[in-house]
Order: sequence, then C-alpha cells, then structure tokens
Amino acid sequence: MGEEKKGARFSRRSFLKSIGGGALGTAVVSTGLIKTDDAAAYVSETVGVGRGKTAVALKVNGKTYRVQVEHRQTLAEVLRDELGLTGTKIGCDRGECGACTVIIDGRNMYSCSQLAVWMQGKDILTIEGLAKGDKLDPLQEAFIEHDGPQCGFCTSGQIMSGKAVLMKNPKPTEAQVRRGLSGNLCRCGNYNREVAAVLAAASKTS
Amino acid sequence: MAESSKEFSIVGKKTPRIDAYERVTGQAQYTGDLQLPGMLYARVLRSSVPHAKIASIDTSKAEKLPGVKAIIHHGNAQVPWSSGGLTHRRYIFNNPVRYVGDPVAAVAATDRHIAEDALKLIEINYEKIPHVLDANEALKPDAPKITPNGNLSVGKGPFSAPIEESWGDVEQGFKEADKIFEDTFITKHVNNAQMERRVSIARWDAGKLTVYASTQGVSNARTDIAKDFGLPLSKVRVICKYMGGGFGNKNQAQDYDYMAAMLAKAADQPVKLEFTREDDFIGMHGRWSSEQHYKVGVKNDGTITAVMLDAVTNMGAYRKQSGNLSGTDFYNIPNFKKVVKPVHTNTVVAANYRAPAYPQSVFGFASFLDQIAFELGLNPLDMFLRNRAQKSKGKLAYTSNYLEQCIVEGAKRIGWREKWHKPGATAGPKKHGIGMALGGYPFRPGLGAATIRINSDGTAHVLVGVTDIGTGAKSTMAIIASEALGIPLNQIQLTNGDTDVTPYSVGESGSRTTAFTGPAVVAAAEDVRKQIFNLAASQLKTKAEEIELRNGEVFVKNDPAQKRALSQVVAQAGELIGRATTNPNFPKEMDGKCFSAHFAEVEVDTWTGHVQITRYVAAHDSGTILNRLTAESQIKGGVVQGIGMAFSEELIIDKVTATPINPNYRDAKVPTHLEAPEVEVIFIENYDPYGVFGGKVVGEPPITAAVATIANAIFNATGKRFKELPMTPDKIVRAVQV
Repeated sequence: MGEEKKGARFSRRSFLKSIGGGALGTAVVSTGLIKTDDAAAYVSETVGVGRGKTAVALKVNGKTYRVQVEHRQTLAEVLRDELGLTGTKIGCDRGECGACTVIIDGRNMYSCSQLAVWMQGKDILTIEGLAKGDKLDPLQEAFIEHDGPQCGFCTSGQIMSGKAVLMKNPKPTEAQVRRGLSGNLCRCGNYNREVAAVLAAASKTS
Repeated sequence: MAESSKEFSIVGKKTPRIDAYERVTGQAQYTGDLQLPGMLYARVLRSSVPHAKIASIDTSKAEKLPGVKAIIHHGNAQVPWSSGGLTHRRYIFNNPVRYVGDPVAAVAATDRHIAEDALKLIEINYEKIPHVLDANEALKPDAPKITPNGNLSVGKGPFSAPIEESWGDVEQGFKEADKIFEDTFITKHVNNAQMERRVSIARWDAGKLTVYASTQGVSNARTDIAKDFGLPLSKVRVICKYMGGGFGNKNQAQDYDYMAAMLAKAADQPVKLEFTREDDFIGMHGRWSSEQHYKVGVKNDGTITAVMLDAVTNMGAYRKQSGNLSGTDFYNIPNFKKVVKPVHTNTVVAANYRAPAYPQSVFGFASFLDQIAFELGLNPLDMFLRNRAQKSKGKLAYTSNYLEQCIVEGAKRIGWREKWHKPGATAGPKKHGIGMALGGYPFRPGLGAATIRINSDGTAHVLVGVTDIGTGAKSTMAIIASEALGIPLNQIQLTNGDTDVTPYSVGESGSRTTAFTGPAVVAAAEDVRKQIFNLAASQLKTKAEEIELRNGEVFVKNDPAQKRALSQVVAQAGELIGRATTNPNFPKEMDGKCFSAHFAEVEVDTWTGHVQITRYVAAHDSGTILNRLTAESQIKGGVVQGIGMAFSEELIIDKVTATPINPNYRDAKVPTHLEAPEVEVIFIENYDPYGVFGGKVVGEPPITAAVATIANAIFNATGKRFKELPMTPDKIVRAVQV
C-alpha cells in the first residue's frame, strides 16, 4: 500500500491508501476524504503517484476476473471500465452519494472509495449479479412495482444498500431501512418509493 | 375521445415504467456508460480567480506528458456557446475569465488520470481585474463591469431587463387598502445537483459530428451545436437514451458537448468528457438567488388590493435564463406591478432549476401573506382561500382551475381546522406547527412531433424525440400511444432521443413534454388508425367510419362479432406509418396553469434548532393524471427538493477568494433518506379541455410550494418569521432563544 513518495502532496488517492482498506464507515471515511478534497480544490495531485500496475483476481458476481490495475484505480472504475459492469454508477467519485454502492463480503460499500488493488480475495456483488438468470431478485421486482427509479442513476446503489440491509435483517423496520439507505442520495427525492420497495421485498420474501 | 377517466383503458392507472427493468438491473446505458473504440478521456481546467485577463497560457509541459492527445483553450478553440450567454457573447473558453470556475482549458488523454495529471501542468498567467460578488453591489455605478453594458443583464426580447409586468393601478389599489405591509425576503443559490455528472462523448465521421449527450433535449442540442459549429443540421447527430437527472441544467447543448467535439477533432479520436462532481456544482448552474421586496395592500378581511414587487436576482457571470420571479402567480391580485433586475456578478452562473422562477418567490410571497394573516388576526387557511388565483394576470380565464379544491381537500386531509393554533402556542421546548402555501406551474401547449409504425404482426413502434430525465416521459408517451391507438402497452415499443431517427421534440424542460409531444402522439395515432380503418373497411366490407380498434382488435362498431386481428389487417400493407406534427394553442383570452396547495406539520426543537416534518400533504390540480405511479413519484420528489432548499442547501462563495467553498453533496447538504418525510399526494382529478386526455403537467409544480409551506409551519410553531433561506438550525436557535 504505502507507495507514495516521501513528501508527496497529500492527494485523494494517496489518502485513500494511507487509511487502509475494507472499512465501510462511510461517515468516518468520507469525513476525512472531503476535508482532503476541499483543501486540495484546484490543487494538483502529485503526478505519477500510483502509476504502477498490479495483477488482481477480482471475484465479482461469482466469476473471477484477472485484471491488471493501476494502483490509483478505484474498484468503481475497474468494474465499469475494465469489466464493463456499468450498472454501478459514479455520481461523485468522493464517497458522498452512494451511486457506486456494491456489496463486498456482505457489506454495502462505496466502490469509488475502495482501490481495486485492495480487492484481492474479496467477494464482490454488483447490481448485475442480483438476478438469477431471468429471475429478478424480489428487491428488483419491488423497485419496478413501487417506482423505485426516477432518473435511475442512484437506483443500483439504492438496491445494493437495500439488499445489504435485507441480508443482515430480513425483517427490518421502516426506520432501519431509512438508516440503511441513508448513505445513498437520490436527488429526484424518490426516498418514499425506495424505502417502500425495500419493505415490500422484505414482506414478500417471508 | 374519452372525456372521463372511467372510459380510459390505461390512462390514469398505476403503470410501471416501460424501461423499469433496464433501470433496476443496471442494463440502462447512460451516456457515461458508453465506450467507443479508441475513445479518449477528457477533463476541464477552471479559473482559480474571479475576474482576470489571461495574459498567457503555457501547455508545453502538459503536452509532453505521455498519453496526452489534445489540449484546447481560448487560443486554439474559440467556439461561441450561444445558449450559454444570452446577453453577451460567451465562448466555451473565455478571456477574460469572469468567475472562479470559468473553463480555461480541456485536455484529452488515454485515460482520465492522465488527463487530470495534465491539467496540473498547464501554466496560466492571470492579470487580475477587480471583481464583484454581491448583486446589489454590482448595480452600483462604480462596480467593476462584467459585461461591456454593465451589470444589469440587458438582453433582447424575453431577456430584456429589468423584467417588468403590471396590470390594474397599484397606486389606486394601495388607496383602497385598509393596511399596507412591506418586507424583504432573501433566497440563496441552490444547485440542481442531479446524480449524473455532466458527460458528453463526441465522434467525427467524415465531417459528421455525433454527440452522445447527457441532455434534456436532443433536438435543441443539435440545433445549438449546428449553429455554433457552422454545420448543417444533417451533419449533427445527438443521442441521449438514458439520462441521470438535470432538473433544468442540462437543457440544450452545453459547453462540455462543444469541448468534447473540439477535442475529438483535434485528436482525431472519439472523446468522452466527464465533469467531476465539483465541476458539476460550479461549472454549470444552479437556481438564481434573490432579494425580493414586497409592498402589499389588503382590506381588513385579508383581501389583497395591490402588490408591488421590487427584486434583484443574481445570475452570475453569464445570463442563460430569465432570472424572473413568479411566485405571485397563484393569487388574485387586482393591481400589480413587478420589477425584477437580473444582475451579473463574478460568481457561478444561475439559470434553470425545476420551476425556475417559483420556489424563491413562492417562499417570499406566501411567507409574507402568512405574516399578513397573522397581523390581521386571520387564520392563514382563510387568507389563502380568499386570495387564491381565479384569473391569470388579472384578466385571462384559466383552461381549468381546481385550486380551491386543492386547498379544501388538502386542509381536510391534514386536519387544519383542528390542528391550527396561534403561532408559538405549544408549551415546552418542542413546538408543534402547521403551515401551508400555494404553488403550481404554467401549463401551455406547443410544437410537437411523433411517428408511429404499425408492424405487420400488429405491434406498434412509437418514435419520439423526447429524452427521459426521470419523469417517466418515455412511459407517458407510450401510455398516450396505447390509449390513442387502442393497442395494449406491452405491444408497444418506443424509441426516443436520437436526432437521426426520432422526430423533433421541444426538450424535456419547462414541463412541456406531455403538453407539446403528447398531442403529436395522439395525432400520429389517429393518422395511422385512419389507414387501419380504410384497410379493414374493405376487408370487412363496411365503411371506415364503422370500424373501431380496441385492445389490438379491429371490429365493426355495431357488430363487434365481425372482427379481425390487427395483424391480419396490416399484413396486406406490410406496415403502416402514422405521422404528425402538431402545434396547438390556447384561445387568446385563456391561459393554462397547474395548481397545488401544500400543507406540513413540523416539530421544532428549540434547543437544537432541528425541525422534524411530521406530516406532509400535497394536493395538486394537474388535470387528468396519465400515470398515477410516476406522477406521485414526481410530487414526492419535488417536495424533497424543496425541503433541501428550505433547510440546508446553499452554494457558499468565500468573500475573500470568491471561491465556492462547498461544491459537493456533503457540504451543500442535499436531503438524504433521513430528512424525507412520507409525502401524502392528493390529485384533484379533472379534465382540462386543452390537455392530452385532459392532463396538464406534473414535473415542475411540486417543488414550488414546499419551501414556503415549511417556513409557514415553522412560524406557526415558533412565532418567528424566517425571511432568509436556508432555515438552518443555527438561525432557528438564534431566533427562538432571544
């Protein structure tokens, strides 16, 4: 991990590396991140940091992909650009909005705030991996029925956080669902619908 | 055509989106999801100073960075951006730069990290010019001039300034008043902050430019690009299939579309240009801030006799839209005078955000009416009922107006008469409050076009130019087609958003899609039905007028046993094509409007300043509701956006550096799941004679009344009037703890 040159300016991605991987803690992680970014607004990242490539075996939706990734590439970028799994969206690329949420080892995480090189040996589930063949996950069905997507850009993330909530607790209360999805912004403001969809899926899968 | 909802087959039901499957499986391809062979990635460098002449720009170091393919700036890519500046010429790169965030250069490279690295190697020498950030300061004679004509933003036609409107005789109106009140209300710059960052992919093939845009309007984007690049329309193709929100700031073609095109030309490779989230907050635009001074004359019973509004709106460095304030629209005002001055400052540009001219001034005016009701000892419900709009601009009849029913039904649902109390009457630190306000949005028809193909197997293919920014426009068009054709929805395929394939559309902005393109879909359906009926008449040996098509079956009206499958009728012709371009209008003496009355109950914690919305009821008159499912989502979402504007959102510009200090989701504080109350939606359904199947519009109205509704509920809870947005906890604590 610690590959930054001594004295290199503190960039977003070097910061990411320095705090280590695996933490969901969107609150904790993003607080630090954002401070770093604000300080660095319009200030350059150190050119060349993280340019090396490493081979990583990524286990995504049950399949293993061997990819060469740059150290500074995030999981979100690799999923989208290298594996073509563009269902995972990038809304802010700074750990605030949740559009890039995927499930890593059973926990919902911002894939823009995880470096791909940290993902060796982890079990990653994306929106593309939810349906079993043609059979949609009950949560996806509920999102259709309850009009979960408006513009749809946050929808993958909402569904993945909803899925993570249901994996932990198949019978959540409304308050638990709201809290579980609270790291996923929806600027269309479709929060009523998204919560209703998760609750409906919970009652269906009883 | 059916004139009551009971006769519709699909209109008015709760219909899931036709593309919902794609949206919940990750298969929906948004612009940023596309990858073209050999595509480069681009990033934009922005000005770090608010007002300066660029003395020199040195890109030599950046050019040497391996992977960098093209760099453009004002010196080598001076393309005008017509829709970006309506009062003075704006280019994609401007010299001088006029705000912190004005684009200075763009780089295309083999990956986005290299493009980002290259930005840091570009050296710019700025010669600073004095700047001004405050709109009132900018109007002073000695203020630094941002445009050659000064800082009052004077343009042509609808962009003339100041914006003036009047009717009746305000002086006479004030003479007739028992009491006259004056006050000032202030709103701040709020970002649209849609989830999809701006992105554009441009590709040149033998002189033809294809832009995969993230736009609310492919047709006007194409027109803009053709005009500014000097290309014939036939050489420009704009495609947008899925779109991750915009709320007004992705109308038309934008500078990033042009930059992508110029970089693609320079590099001779396709280019994807993405904004970062910060770029998106400062590089495009948000809602114009305002300072509104009202003078209102009333009778002792609350009847308004005259209203004067003097206002200043801050449009930032360039004028992209009107800067108007229209929150008085929902009231009966016999004598009215408005003067709004849109002003240039060296700040981020302000333009359209959902119902552009409304939430600011609905906040101002409905707050003020609520205050006047208090001063007169009236229940606000009676004040709003008494002064509700009955005629447009003091004289024109509305095509339909169910505002009274919105007020009455909404008040009943929330239990207004039982729950309303004197302001600040609750004992203890947590105060209950209830508030209301009126809102809505203009409904007007206009130019639309549609094509419908009936295939030989009886399925239909609808082609419309609309994009779907999240409103469900694609689904609405398919529902209209299904209803008008008499063909089930699941037999209808819809292609949208591709200027080489789909006909003209006005663009999905200003709540115009249903009202403009909807009638064209109906007319195209009628066109092709005529062809079907003519074919069927000869097959069934009767007259075309005797034939009906319903549920995919063609039959003789007064002998339904005589029928044929649609496929049998069409097979003989191969396929049938119905087309229409429509441009309906209202009669001269009429005007159209959607109306709403919103109601909220809040609990204000006077120790922390936290406000909990415990109940929210939104009653809307949008005529017939074409799809109850997506329409309700629109209402709920608009209210949530209003909640953000009411409590937390504001783009803050640092007074010393002129730099926006919170251009991101976390610090601009958009509402999350935790702030969103359950929004109860009431539709006062009715049939507007000028709407498609009686429908008016839905998209913009829901945000208009939300801010004022909450402000008035906080007043009822605390007895304190908040005249400046956002109503943050610190302001609330300071007000209630004096």
